[in-house]
Amino acid sequence: MAKNSIDEVRQSAALRRLFRSFLLAVLVYGVAVLYFFPILYMFLSGFKTEAQAVNPHIFFKPTFSTYQKVLGDPTMHQYLKNSLFQVCFGTILCLALGIPAAFAIVFGRFNKKETPGKFYVWFITTILLPPVAVLIPLFTWYQKFNLINTPWGLLAVYVGTHIPIVVWMVHSFFSDIPKEIFEAAEIDGCTKFQQMLRIAVPLARTGIISAGLLVAVFIWNEFFLGFNLTGNPTATLPVYMARFREQQGQFVAQLSAASTISVLPAVIFGWLTQKALVKGLVAGAVKG
Amino acid sequence: MPDGLQFRHKKSDYPFLLPAVIIVAVMTQVPFLMTLIFSFIRWNLSRPDMARVFYGLRNYTYFLRIRSLSELHQFYGVFFQTVVITLMTLLFCSILGFLLAILFDHQVPGVNIARTLILGPFFVMSTASGVIWKTTILNTTFGWYGVIAKALGMTPVDLISYYPKATVIALFTWQWLPFFFLVILAGLQGIDKDLVDCARIDGANWWQTTFKIKLPLIVNHLQVAIMLGLVFVIKEFGLILTTTAGGPGTRSYTLPYYVYMEIFSASNVGRAGALATMTVLLTLVLVNLIYRSIQRRNAQYR
Repeated sequence: MAKNSIDEVRQSAALRRLFRSFLLAVLVYGVAVLYFFPILYMFLSGFKTEAQAVNPHIFFKPTFSTYQKVLGDPTMHQYLKNSLFQVCFGTILCLALGIPAAFAIVFGRFNKKETPGKFYVWFITTILLPPVAVLIPLFTWYQKFNLINTPWGLLAVYVGTHIPIVVWMVHSFFSDIPKEIFEAAEIDGCTKFQQMLRIAVPLARTGIISAGLLVAVFIWNEFFLGFNLTGNPTATLPVYMARFREQQGQFVAQLSAASTISVLPAVIFGWLTQKALVKGLVAGAVKG
Repeated sequence: MPDGLQFRHKKSDYPFLLPAVIIVAVMTQVPFLMTLIFSFIRWNLSRPDMARVFYGLRNYTYFLRIRSLSELHQFYGVFFQTVVITLMTLLFCSILGFLLAILFDHQVPGVNIARTLILGPFFVMSTASGVIWKTTILNTTFGWYGVIAKALGMTPVDLISYYPKATVIALFTWQWLPFFFLVILAGLQGIDKDLVDCARIDGANWWQTTFKIKLPLIVNHLQVAIMLGLVFVIKEFGLILTTTAGGPGTRSYTLPYYVYMEIFSASNVGRAGALATMTVLLTLVLVNLIYRSIQRRNAQYR
């Protein structure tokens, strides 16, 4: 009799725990799906025809025609091409310039001991500068020298404003590498450049890849400068998306398909960087 | 000491640093200095007949001069709106981010997928999230908001024109909450499990473990999120342009939007320069205030 009741108590406790974790799971997934819903619905609406898209429904007969139409649109190609150009060259240049800078800040030798720290702080403070502070002179120069209609002008701003992010993130990954490795390498006759390329970069490659992906996402999504410093032939995808702002309820399906295409790469790349993002952004700052 | 060795020690690694420093300086510091100079010049792009002359502080006083308290220049309103929108966004992001992180700190099967879903909006370009929210969610006839409101027997009001500031704050929060969530969650996962277990055994309830033990332990992470969030939220532009377009009137203007209007509608480089300079000042002042309060708090706890 007594044993039975203990079993019963145990069973009901286990049941209650199971019920609790079930409720928790429902809550967690409910909140997550609800939060993600606008993006999910955008993705789904791309599979609708315009007539279907006017009424909000989750269940409908999907069609690929809208995506086909958007992907076949030559103006879309133009914007997509411009965005890809900025992201590819921008990311490569940011890494090519930012990694050596981070390397020099962490491992470099300077006449004064506080020099690297000063440069590090300087890079960080440039992140604080809002883009409005640089827009006006760039706008007047670019108009004057017709840089509005070439991609190089925008590329230069993107490289200049995103190098500090590479320096910041890669810095925290370089700081984890013990300095002794480089001393040993130097004795073996390794030049500074080789030390960076052969030792530091491979050891910090997860951090570097994440920094690259994050910069790619930032450049892909950047709107303020891209909007104000480009002309029709050079505008990027965020500018294309902004053109939909005046349409009230027209072309909802087209809009959804186009924004899915513009949003998806960034969301996927972003998800890949999340761990390094936290480490790179928080590690240094929490201690300091 | 042999000469070679001494030479080696004197060598410095500027070649690694300089290319990056030069391009960052040319693309950020030089334009900012030019902005500062422009702000003291009378320069209107639509009036080429007017010579560009030194204008003293008149570009600033144009916005700041107080004729009478009843008719302040709209700059004051925009300035106030910028501060309110930014701080309210940061407040909501902090509170909701903490609660969300607490919820998602539980070990639920496949919780990583759920966390990833929450993170999504952070990586969506602001213009896309603006048009998506405007057309598929907030629209009173075609959007979910309108349909649900009608199903509940209410008449949906156009939130974008009736409550522009609240809408902007809500959308900013939607976009930036994931970042706060991510950083705070990292903090929660760094907490020693034994500490929480000890408190539980000592009879602490959920409320006490959450707000008396976990919250103080992640305050550093929260501060980092607030600092970075401030820097990024204050310069948001795409979401405002695509949803409220600053309106109705100037009711949801923020300083970056005002600068944009001053160049592209008014073509006034000098005044835009003055506005941009004041935007930078506001950013620096707010960053400084938050940084100081962090320092003060840290000093208390040491």
